[in-house]
Amino acid sequence: MRELAVWLQASPLGTLMRDAGPWTYAFVNLAHIFGIAALFGAILILDLRLIGAWRRTPLAAIAAVASPVAACGLALAATTGAGLLATRATEYVGNPFLYVKLPVIAVGVANAILLRRSGAWRALGSRDLSLGERRQLAWMGGTSLVCWLTAIAAGRLIAYW
Amino acid sequence: MNSHPSNHRRAVVGGAVLLAAFLFAVPAIAHHGWGGYAQKTSEISGTVESPVSMAGPHATMRVKVENQVWDVVLAPPTRAQQAGLKDGMIAVGEKVTVHGNRHSDPKKFEMKTSRLTWNGKVFNVYPDRD
Repeated sequence: MRELAVWLQASPLGTLMRDAGPWTYAFVNLAHIFGIAALFGAILILDLRLIGAWRRTPLAAIAAVASPVAACGLALAATTGAGLLATRATEYVGNPFLYVKLPVIAVGVANAILLRRSGAWRALGSRDLSLGERRQLAWMGGTSLVCWLTAIAAGRLIAYW
Repeated sequence: MNSHPSNHRRAVVGGAVLLAAFLFAVPAIAHHGWGGYAQKTSEISGTVESPVSMAGPHATMRVKVENQVWDVVLAPPTRAQQAGLKDGMIAVGEKVTVHGNRHSDPKKFEMKTSRLTWNGKVFNVYPDRD
C-alpha cells in the first residue's frame, strides 16, 4: 500500500494537483462531490426500484435513464478522487476509512457489472420477470445501496482520521 | 407483479431506517476543525524543517523544536494565501513561532495553527481564533 501511495503521489497527477495553485484541491474536491451526487442520486432511485419501490413505474424506464447518469457520476468521482488522493497519498496510508472505501467501491462496481450481465436485467422491457429474478434484482439493488452508502460515509470520514 | 406490495414497502422502509441508523451511529471523531486538538492553545518555537506547502486540503509546514519535528497544519491553501503565505515560503533553518492547538494525542507532534510568526511578521491564518 505504501509503495502504491508513494508512486501515486510522485505521479504526474500528484505533481499537477500540488502545483496548479491554491484553489486546485478545492475545485477538484467540488467536482468529486458533483460526481458523487450524480452517481448516488441516480443509483438510489434505481436501487429502491429494484428493491421494490414504485412498482407501477416500469423498471426498464428507470434503468434506461438512471444507469448512464450513475456511470457518468462514477467516472467523474473516480478521476477526481484519484487526484485528491494523489495530492498527498502517503498521508492516507493506514487510514482505516480508505481501506473500507476502496473495497466497497470495487464491490459496488462488480455488483453493477454482474447486474447488467444478468438474464433478468437483459429481459427488462421484453417480458415479465419471474419471482426468482425479481428477488435476485432486489438483492443486487440492496447490495448496491449498502456499497455506495458505505463508500460515501467512509470517504467523508477519511478527513476526520 | 404486485404479489405482496405491503411486504415490499416494509422492506424499503426498514432498509432506509437501517441505513440512516448506520450513518448516524458513526462516531464523531475529528481531525478537521479543532475537534481532535487540545482545547487550550500553546506555542512552539523552532526552526523550519520544510517550508510552507500549499498542496492539498491544508497548507502545511514542518518545524523542528529541539530534536522533535512538528507537523504544522495551517489553514486551507486559499485561506493561508489570504493570510500572506505562499508556497515554498520561509526557508529551511529560519526561526518561527507557531501558535495554535496541539494534537490531543500527546504522542503526535502536530499543531493546528492559528498564528505563525516569522521575522517580526505575523501570519494570522485564523484571525478569529486565539
